[in-house]
Amino acid sequence: MNFWHFMVHNRRQVLDLTGEHLWLVGASIFLAVLVGIPLGILVTRVPRLNKVVLGSANIIQTIPSLALFGFLLPAPWIGERADRLAILALMLYALLPLIRNTYTGIRGVDPAVVEAGRGMGMTDRQLLFQVELPLALGVILAGIRVATVLCVGLATIAAAIGAGGLGEFIFRGLSMVNNDVILAGAVPAALLAILADWSLGWLERRLSPQ
Amino acid sequence: MSLRPVCCTLILLLLFPGCASSRKDRVVVGCKNFTEQLILGEIIAQQLEAKTHLEVDRRFYLAGTFIAHQAIVGGRVDIYPEYTGTSLTAVLKHQPGGDRQQVYDAVRNGYLQKFHLDLGPPFGFNDTFAIEIRGADARQLSLKTISQAAAYTPKWRAGFGYEFMERPDGYKGLVQAYGLRFAEDPRIMDLGLLTRALKDRQVDLIAGNTTDGLIPALDLFVLEDDRHYFPPYEAVPVIRKETLDLHPEIGPALKELAGCISDAEMQALNYSVDGQHRDVEVVAREFLQKKGLVR
Amino acid sequence: MQNGLAIEFRDASFGLPGSPEMVRGLTLAIPRGEMLILLGRSGSGKTTSLKLINRLLTPTGGEVRVENRATTEWDEIKLRRGIGYVIQEAGLFPHFTIERNIALVPKIEGWDGDKIRARVTELMGLVGLSAEVAKRYPRALSGGQRQRVGVARALAADPPILLMDEPFAALDPITRAELQKEFLQLQQRLRKTVVFVTHDFREALLLADRIALMDSGKLVALHTPKEFLESNNQFVRAYREAFSNDFVADLKAQRRKEVV
Repeated sequence: MNFWHFMVHNRRQVLDLTGEHLWLVGASIFLAVLVGIPLGILVTRVPRLNKVVLGSANIIQTIPSLALFGFLLPAPWIGERADRLAILALMLYALLPLIRNTYTGIRGVDPAVVEAGRGMGMTDRQLLFQVELPLALGVILAGIRVATVLCVGLATIAAAIGAGGLGEFIFRGLSMVNNDVILAGAVPAALLAILADWSLGWLERRLSPQ
Repeated sequence: MSLRPVCCTLILLLLFPGCASSRKDRVVVGCKNFTEQLILGEIIAQQLEAKTHLEVDRRFYLAGTFIAHQAIVGGRVDIYPEYTGTSLTAVLKHQPGGDRQQVYDAVRNGYLQKFHLDLGPPFGFNDTFAIEIRGADARQLSLKTISQAAAYTPKWRAGFGYEFMERPDGYKGLVQAYGLRFAEDPRIMDLGLLTRALKDRQVDLIAGNTTDGLIPALDLFVLEDDRHYFPPYEAVPVIRKETLDLHPEIGPALKELAGCISDAEMQALNYSVDGQHRDVEVVAREFLQKKGLVR
Repeated sequence: MQNGLAIEFRDASFGLPGSPEMVRGLTLAIPRGEMLILLGRSGSGKTTSLKLINRLLTPTGGEVRVENRATTEWDEIKLRRGIGYVIQEAGLFPHFTIERNIALVPKIEGWDGDKIRARVTELMGLVGLSAEVAKRYPRALSGGQRQRVGVARALAADPPILLMDEPFAALDPITRAELQKEFLQLQQRLRKTVVFVTHDFREALLLADRIALMDSGKLVALHTPKEFLESNNQFVRAYREAFSNDFVADLKAQRRKEVV
């Protein structure tokens, strides 16, 4: 297989681009977790924010990714560096699954458990960290898993605006009309997505209570 | 207790890119996605391979100026060939204007200040708009400059590409700068068809690129822009300051390439690849050998 | 100024805007050490009244006093940590072991580790759980065992007051009878102030020092079990008639035996 030969011959570049791809995905998921989980918790505490928060995240999701990249290009500071822009855009896409799963995960905790905890004098903070979050962890991790797989895919499009990553092989291969180069980007990207799904799924099962 | 494995995994994932690219002894040469860029990129790469101990990675076919600029600013590429005019207007967003040296200096200063990028010395050719007529007409009427040709244009038909017609520094400005008039409105057609149309006498004057390989092949003549209407688009290597500091041996290697490609030579190189379908690597190597830069 | 009252309802009411009140003008005084049963059918307001005590709900009218202070004046966290709470579904934390479940309030109160361990062992003995259950998780236990854990958990920090909301209702009749008997014995030892909600007449007669009968949010009768069996109050009679007479006679006999 010619493409395999290409991969071996250019393994350094394949590693480089894979590394760039992982950085894009890793940074955006990290930020999305930092923002999304607290937002999800907030919505469980202040239910009337439900519409605003989930609604906004929903709207962002419906914007086609390339269009969102386009919107952000003229922005000061963000638009100056393609990888910065890509990370922000990917983070925005990762928000909906994270906020929504945090919300449903916490709401899904057995109300009897929460009532017992509250009735015995646990503070809201203690309830959140000792009861609700641990019991919602499985669902939250499912949200992280969905968001990660989503970002691995979207990051390939980020190469179109110069953010690097495995998508760059795809675009360059298209320019060169060279299938091996296209596959050198497409195959690792697909494998990354599968690996992320599998490994986070394993983690999800491990950390889910019962 | 149960959150620790999650954090560890995430941290490992983020560290991975760090170990993947140990950039100690290698440079990445980039270029855009058309023939002239590929040739220049290959020339730079082979020169560095021959003259330094660095390993060279090639990241060619980047889809345009923006992508290439982002790649070098983001550290994914260390060096790539650019045109001073493009840097001035498209990247630094300045107004076009000034002669070759002024533009070069303005771009160099702007790049150093804003992006920590440096410019190597120019390769020696200017890839800007070329006003072309048939070689036969040039010899018959003893025409060398656009000003001279302006006397004859009222009897001629012109052909231009869409972009040239639209750009403010294209057709409109040209006509104003030289007081040109044509027998009728210019024909607008695809860039690829213009040279053919000129050769076949469907039009008498076109605007192409100065380094187009077909110019010598089809016996076309480029009129001199004596009023310096078109801005300079000198080809230069752009390099990350960080890379140059880390590997100072790159400087002299690039200096050897200074001024070594004339307009005519670039035309010939482009033609070898586009017209004769030869391999870019082979064409680049032959060129470097001819110049005595490599064995 | 100890006036011996653990809990006091003073014309307390609770209702949500737009709906009829669930508790109306409840006035009731519960002295220390009494086991008071709140009896009534579904929707009578008994669970709501219970929740007014540990401030899971705040009265919309009147006040509820605990240890001679209005619940609204108490710091709600401190109030609740001084009151044991047992609910029907037990509400054990599924991700905690049994011993961690029981140790909950002592742990958040910052008790010393050894003290906690000793207390858990003590409580498990008290509620009749074998020691090997300590490291297991709630899902591995039967309903009856889980409720024993629930009681142990409620007693862990040795609160003076215990609130119990139909704690044995979800158990099979045999286990229920078992737990009722054991709890009665426990109460006779510990002499906590207990407010116990149930709709089960027999359970009320068995456990109560006094029975407070509620209907449509109001307190309609307040009697000792003996008085309850003899009262001519229309609500009490209706309740008695809902259960077969023979059965009631048997209970009368049993109660007399226990009093002796």
